[in-house]
Amino acid sequence: MLIGIDVGGTTTDAVLIHDGKVKSSAKVPTEPQNLLKSLLSALDAVSRDVSPEKLKRVVFSTTVITNLIAEGKTDPVALLLIPGPGMNPAGYDFPNRFVLKGAVDYRGREIRDLDEKEILETAARIREEGISRVAVVSKFCQRNPVQELRVRELVEEALPGSKVELGHRVSGKLNFPRRIATTMLSAATKEQYLAFLNEILKALSERNIKAPVYILKADGGTLPLEKSSSLPVETIFSGPAASTMGALALTSEGESSIVADIGGTTTDLALILSGKPLIASKGAKLPPYLTHVRAFAVRSLPVGGDSAVRVVENESRLRIDAGVGGETGIEAEIETGTETGAEEGQKKISVGPDRAGPAYCLGGPETTPTDALRVLGLSEIGDLALAEEAVARVGSGLGKTGKETAELILDMASGLVASAVRDMFLEWEQEPAYRIWEVLQEKKAMPKKVIGVGGGARGLIERVAEKLGAEALIPEHAEVGNAMGAALARPTLTLNLHVDTERKEYSVAEEGGIVRLHTTDIKNINNMRSGEAEALAAKLLRARAESFGISEYAGEAELTGSEVFNMVRNWSTVGRLFDVSMQIPAGLIPEWKRGGKA
Amino acid sequence: MKFGLGKIKGALKGGPGGAEDRTALEQEAAEQAGAEVKKGMKAEESRTGIKSGMENETSRDKPKRQARRFRLQEERGDGEGKEGDEGKEGEERNGGKTGLVFFPAFDWAISPTHPEREERLLYTRDQIFEEGLMDLPEIAEYKPRLAEYKDVARVHFCVPDVPAQATTPHLISAGSGLVLADALMAGEIKNAFSLARPPGHHSMRVAHGNRGFCNINNEAILVEYLRKKYGIRKIAIVDTDVHHGDGTQEIFYHDPDVLFISFHQDGRTLYPGSGFMDELGGPKALARTINIPLPPATPDEGIHHVLDELVLPILKDFRPELIMNSAGQDNHYTDPLANMRFSARGYAKLNEKLAPDIAVLEGGYAIESALPYVNTGIILAMAGLDYSHVLEPDFTPGMFVQASRDRQVLDEIISTQLENWANRDFLTEEALARYGDFYRHKKSIFYDTDMIQEAQEESVRMCPKCPGYMTIDSTGQHRHRSTKIFGVSVPIYACKECQQEAREEYRSKLHDIRYDYIYLQDKKADRYSSYNVKTGQETLL
Ligand SMILES: [Zn+2]
Ligand SMILES: [Zn+2]
Ligand SMILES: [Zn+2]
Repeated sequence: MLIGIDVGGTTTDAVLIHDGKVKSSAKVPTEPQNLLKSLLSALDAVSRDVSPEKLKRVVFSTTVITNLIAEGKTDPVALLLIPGPGMNPAGYDFPNRFVLKGAVDYRGREIRDLDEKEILETAARIREEGISRVAVVSKFCQRNPVQELRVRELVEEALPGSKVELGHRVSGKLNFPRRIATTMLSAATKEQYLAFLNEILKALSERNIKAPVYILKADGGTLPLEKSSSLPVETIFSGPAASTMGALALTSEGESSIVADIGGTTTDLALILSGKPLIASKGAKLPPYLTHVRAFAVRSLPVGGDSAVRVVENESRLRIDAGVGGETGIEAEIETGTETGAEEGQKKISVGPDRAGPAYCLGGPETTPTDALRVLGLSEIGDLALAEEAVARVGSGLGKTGKETAELILDMASGLVASAVRDMFLEWEQEPAYRIWEVLQEKKAMPKKVIGVGGGARGLIERVAEKLGAEALIPEHAEVGNAMGAALARPTLTLNLHVDTERKEYSVAEEGGIVRLHTTDIKNINNMRSGEAEALAAKLLRARAESFGISEYAGEAELTGSEVFNMVRNWSTVGRLFDVSMQIPAGLIPEWKRGGKA
Repeated sequence: MKFGLGKIKGALKGGPGGAEDRTALEQEAAEQAGAEVKKGMKAEESRTGIKSGMENETSRDKPKRQARRFRLQEERGDGEGKEGDEGKEGEERNGGKTGLVFFPAFDWAISPTHPEREERLLYTRDQIFEEGLMDLPEIAEYKPRLAEYKDVARVHFCVPDVPAQATTPHLISAGSGLVLADALMAGEIKNAFSLARPPGHHSMRVAHGNRGFCNINNEAILVEYLRKKYGIRKIAIVDTDVHHGDGTQEIFYHDPDVLFISFHQDGRTLYPGSGFMDELGGPKALARTINIPLPPATPDEGIHHVLDELVLPILKDFRPELIMNSAGQDNHYTDPLANMRFSARGYAKLNEKLAPDIAVLEGGYAIESALPYVNTGIILAMAGLDYSHVLEPDFTPGMFVQASRDRQVLDEIISTQLENWANRDFLTEEALARYGDFYRHKKSIFYDTDMIQEAQEESVRMCPKCPGYMTIDSTGQHRHRSTKIFGVSVPIYACKECQQEAREEYRSKLHDIRYDYIYLQDKKADRYSSYNVKTGQETLL
């Protein structure tokens, strides 16, 4: 039996799956101040009648890190930067930031020495500030971490007991500012995350649950709980990842679709293309930070079943920028609740961006799309008389009947969602191209299916689909699709190999460190071919999968990029640079048999 | 500024109307190539609003437009050209960004070990990606598109036809500029840098093959596109490549509305061996071509002296609607193909002062020691950000000193060319008196890459009402094969009579069996015909 739990912003959802079927599911309110309690009560709700030894796997997604960051409850970190030439480092606007001398270039050559005296002085200032966590990040550390390593050595000596996080261990991708933010956030959340994990482990052992426990990452992959502690930021935005994986589980294999998780206050959008969720080309955005965290290309907008519906004058256009709400989307480009379809000066309807409380028909203070759905008989939730009263109140301001008004409300809400889908699609379509074949690629086609998951999907999703000229689908168990996604997601893994045959070394972005090519079985280094670089990458990926305890998925690895550059100096080739990327993509565990589920 | 605040890209997003009114997205996307779809779609209303504002602005006093300042820049203490109104226009609207197309063509080379190979922008990619420049709110990255054959035919007589000279990478490199031109004219950005290869400034009007690594001229294609699509008339091109921009010069030699200024290492010491001060433009466009042959080993100091005392004053006087930088990077002190002493910071500062609306990458082959730093510097300068920390590892300010003898040479160039510029109307009058109805000129052109020798005779109608139509008789000799063509070109602002005469001229040559191909480039009508004399087949673009 499998258990999946998704700790969301409003509710915590859980499912118990057995023999490819949902045996039971539960929704409990999320208590932001006590996520552990929410998680355990959802767990207990589905596992109460099951003997613990029957559980084969428990997976959960959590907002614990997202909340820590959003609420500013992270631990202070001293940031030691080695930027070298380029942007003015004064622009790296982080608290407790110290800029050090030293520099490494794009080939991994040390082009400027560290100043050890300066490092020791900096360590003394850190001690005065009373900070015990340090993050050291150098530009091009993925090409050579030597300066980061030396700084750690000196800092650990000068500040016994301090915890030092290094940039090249956090991400090997190009983009120094993102690496700074990601490393800093890792250092700033690690201890609290560990404490949270320990509480979970304790609670599970109290319940006699010995099944392996996994955590869901932003890229829809699972990670054994104990492995997740090295990179807690990878767990941000696992909520949208969970619902996307749920949609994947509930639809046929290899299909393309738009996933809309319509909740109480927000709608999360994602794209599944030929059976694979679309990964954001850059890392996740966690306002105000841009990170290197690999995540689905998800877009959030503040429209949901509980969004406040109001009558506004046409010219008073509401425009709210990114950063609304705690659990915001990865793209952070939050659509605002804006109004459409009326002449200047006329009165009309706005939906969102705020939530005043539950729907009026459920005893809330203001009119919501949920009330409109109730009035039109598209849902059974709430009291019909209250819903009619709520909708009539909006309608009287417009001089329209209840049914007309309800239609208008739903039209507005679904219009906002549909235009966000179009925006997201356009952005993906317009991703930059650096190679001829990328420019020549065929036009990307928008999926013709909209999958609704989450509590607010029913009644709205059909309208969204209609506006996009697509087909709407709400699969069975859609309301707990997120928890299903968590339960059924398999591990993911990436590996980016960079080989420099002139320098006779290679590095793996995800692991950091420079390895001599002589340690490999490549015979003629000077004449190394792409095939050999790809074989080396495959071998390294298998080893990496093993170290994460996910060897059984190594066979799912695929090559996502392989490039070779001849290095020519004075008209003759002096070496080659290879960049090979591989991944175990997001997918479902083999226990889940799809087909006929939709 | 703060990292991590995310792109402002979405600022216009979700506005009223916008995508809402659209039905079939795919169909629309298919119709609108490239940048038109890009960011503009988000809010139709706002976009058109900006656009009309932009149109009014085209006749503004050019030097007023200043880059937005990075707040830390005050510390640098070099305050040239920072009048009070800086940046306000940029910050108030979405057009405050610098548009960037980065197209390194990682899958294309002239040949495996040629300087124009896959590796050329690899370390530049590493540097600008590691800097996180694409994430900056001041920068908007655009996806390149292919230029159309017609865009190429608007500039070149391609022998035998456009596809033969403009292969896919050339079309993308030229198209990168067009994407940015559209974004600029739509008011989405305040200026733009097309960081694309292959280069183009050695390509002339007739394209028999590859010259100096170039097949088609990216800047010229951009100029004619801007004129045709947006009605811009006066454009200045400043060629900052170390090589004389002979292709661009030749294409606009008779065009009084295009000011072409090139500084380069003296042609007596470097390819292509031209670009002397007496190359001043055709009779009707004298002093609209300004050449500045610099002594080898000229450092930042010398180039900035010429810029301040000669280039900027002439630009100010010319009052172009748009300034382009033909931005080669081979003046760098480490460039393997030339002998100058320019630095990355020198390049950045040059772009800050020049404030080009569009910069287009040309040469530059010190792919490790120069390009990563020079490109970072140019991008930062154009975006109005601090570039004072962009330093080559082996560079210390003041390491190259201007020789006093060379300083004298520069001062002589400056005074000569300022005088030519001041006398341009007089010179033109004098020249017109010298020629009758036609100006005729013979020249020979060598294509180093493809080993083609071309012999040309051009004629320009000395029309009193317009720049005059032009004919070119050209024979390209490649080993034992020779191709002879005749081309007639009608300027976009030609008078009716010139257009009529040119058409007759084209027709009169169609049965002349001495030629292989006859061309009519009618920019006024935006119609481009080519005729294969042997097969009798006419193609129209
Ligand atoms: Zn030049
Ligand atoms: Zn050059
Ligand atoms: Zn005329």
